Amino acid sequence: MQVIKTWNYLRGYVIIKVEGLTLERFLNLAATNDIYLWDIKRVNYTVLEMKASIEGFKALKEVIKKVGCRVEIIEKKGLPFILYKLRARKMLGFGILIFLGLIIFLSSFIWNIEVTGNEKIKTQDIIKVLEKENIKSGIIKYNIDKDYTKHFLLDQFDNFSFVSVDIKGTKLIIEVKEQDLPPEKIDIATPCNIVANKKGVIVKVIARNGNAVVRKGDIVDKGDVLISGVISDENSGEYIFVHSDGEVLAKTVYSYRLDEPIIKSIKEETGRSMEMRELKFGEKGLRFSKGEIPFKDYIEEVREVKLFKKNTNLPIKLLVYEYNEVEIKETKQNIDFLKKSTHIKAVKELNKELPEKAQIESKDVKYYVEDGILSTVVVIEAIEDIGEKQIINTN
Amino acid sequence: MKSNMENLKYNLSEALELPKDVVLDLPKITIIGNIQLNISNHKGIIEYTQETLRINSNVGIVKISGNNMELKTILSEEIIVVGLIEKVEIIC
Repeated sequence: MQVIKTWNYLRGYVIIKVEGLTLERFLNLAATNDIYLWDIKRVNYTVLEMKASIEGFKALKEVIKKVGCRVEIIEKKGLPFILYKLRARKMLGFGILIFLGLIIFLSSFIWNIEVTGNEKIKTQDIIKVLEKENIKSGIIKYNIDKDYTKHFLLDQFDNFSFVSVDIKGTKLIIEVKEQDLPPEKIDIATPCNIVANKKGVIVKVIARNGNAVVRKGDIVDKGDVLISGVISDENSGEYIFVHSDGEVLAKTVYSYRLDEPIIKSIKEETGRSMEMRELKFGEKGLRFSKGEIPFKDYIEEVREVKLFKKNTNLPIKLLVYEYNEVEIKETKQNIDFLKKSTHIKAVKELNKELPEKAQIESKDVKYYVEDGILSTVVVIEAIEDIGEKQIINTN
Repeated sequence: MKSNMENLKYNLSEALELPKDVVLDLPKITIIGNIQLNISNHKGIIEYTQETLRINSNVGIVKISGNNMELKTILSEEIIVVGLIEKVEIIC
């Protein structure tokens, strides 16, 4: 009903008073002529009050002539009449125009730049680089070539794997994804050591250049020098710096421990649930609760109901909390089966840690049961190259 | 002859479950509580005051008595009356 009222208001309507003796005839004629009249009220024996649209009122004139009654306008309502009144106030219209123009004008600028997703490179640096390309707050947003900016940023920063440039309102949003740079190649001319990048027992040292300082069976820690690029001349006592090169194979140990309770509690939904709604204005929320949650154990689920179209970033949210009642059931798991599954899980985790080139020497699995918890320890021994080049600071 | 035709129409609408207000051109009166009354397929208003409303139709005159009755809309097809409705009579 409100919709029709609003529609009538926008189109404009008049409240009229009809005076006459055959008012029923007037109503019937209006109905047969398809003139829409509403809210008809008998004021007294000879007077009717009603509402009619502007076009309807014009069409009524013929009916009035036929019936022979008097019509008087009591009130004019609706937007068209307001606009008619405002026509005389030219400066107001001018002000509205200026206001709209100003809003459009101001919203066509970029007012701030937001950079997200950068971890290593500072936001300031990215903004500085953009400023060089004349992309800064205060420029007209239609002038920004998003594709160009994207490629420009990818060119400028080597370790960006993905850049997206988006304009939302007056905000320029730059989303970046960084990738790890591959280790820098050290030029053959620069002297360097080969150091261990992890703990291990040396199995084999092949020094193509430089002085091997560790031997088979040595235990090295991370950072220990394996092949030194510093060679001392026995005769003169001077040091020569060389670019050492070679492979250092070492036995490394990877272990992983996985604890899994033998008695597992499983949450089973009973099917009963209740909902609560919360209206959020920014950080503040208004929760419509239906009293206490009548369940002992439950799982809470939060859903957001979109009130508006996508992409509208208004700080009003409607959240629906759903509480599903659960029953906690304790079940004892089959130990053999559990052992198998934990074993597989642990090996999977270890595989993530193992470098690609490592050769697996041995694998050892141990199980302990303590306090109803099954601990699975998987130890893998692998042989891999643990050497890493490190520049010698000759100063 | 006419009554035969009416009978046929009635039987037809019975058999095919067609709405009778359409087939037999009868008024359809809907009352919502005692506050609103819709009458479609009317043949014009005979009398209207705040206390009584008489509407012509194919079955006779529908007389509605009540208090503070207003005609919410009048269309050639339908009349909507709001107010306190006390009595609906069909006078043949």
